[in-house]
Amino acid sequence: MKTPKPGTQSTITNSIRTLRHQHNEMTQQDLADRIGVSRQTVNAIEAAKYAPSLEVAFRIARVFDKAIEEVFQFHAP
Amino acid sequence: MNASFEEKSVWIHLVCVLGTFILYCLVAWSMLSSGVDTLMPFVGVFLSSVVLLVILLVAGHLLAAVTGRIEKPDERDRLIVWRSESNSAWMLVVGIFAAITAMLFSLSNVWVAHILILSLYLSQTMQYLFQIRYYRRGV
Repeated sequence: MKTPKPGTQSTITNSIRTLRHQHNEMTQQDLADRIGVSRQTVNAIEAAKYAPSLEVAFRIARVFDKAIEEVFQFHAP
Repeated sequence: MNASFEEKSVWIHLVCVLGTFILYCLVAWSMLSSGVDTLMPFVGVFLSSVVLLVILLVAGHLLAAVTGRIEKPDERDRLIVWRSESNSAWMLVVGIFAAITAMLFSLSNVWVAHILILSLYLSQTMQYLFQIRYYRRGV
């Protein structure tokens, strides 16, 4: 699971990298094509450099057949 | 370069805008130094720099398209553009107020026009720098 860097504002982490590997080593490009964003955006989401919109978050969860809370975790300060 | 087409496009814009602006400044400075104090001779130089800018942008984007994958802007690209525009728009506002102030002090139209051109270029350059920062460090 990717955790935010210390000192950054981001409090949303995700398990996308783990889920990709569990789904036949799905590539970032494959996932990007399925949810309609660029590969670099998937990379930024995985690295917690970008918090996606609800729509994209739901699309990602649907690709992995998971609930959104199993893919994204919100950590309140 | 491990960048999306949109990020490459920002780099192309930054390099081309800076290049043509520096070129324009060199020519304009030499004209001012030689005593040109009416606006019309500068219009031709400015339009030439704009045409050169368009040619360079088209060539740069063609190169980026040939060497990489073309993708439509996604939600992250749009958010980056919005934030960068929001963060850099003040520079244009400062330029407009500076131009109005220059008019109040009866500076020539040449200087008023160049204050506006300078603020336009600085605002655009700042926007591209913000965009690159957001692409590299996150948004």
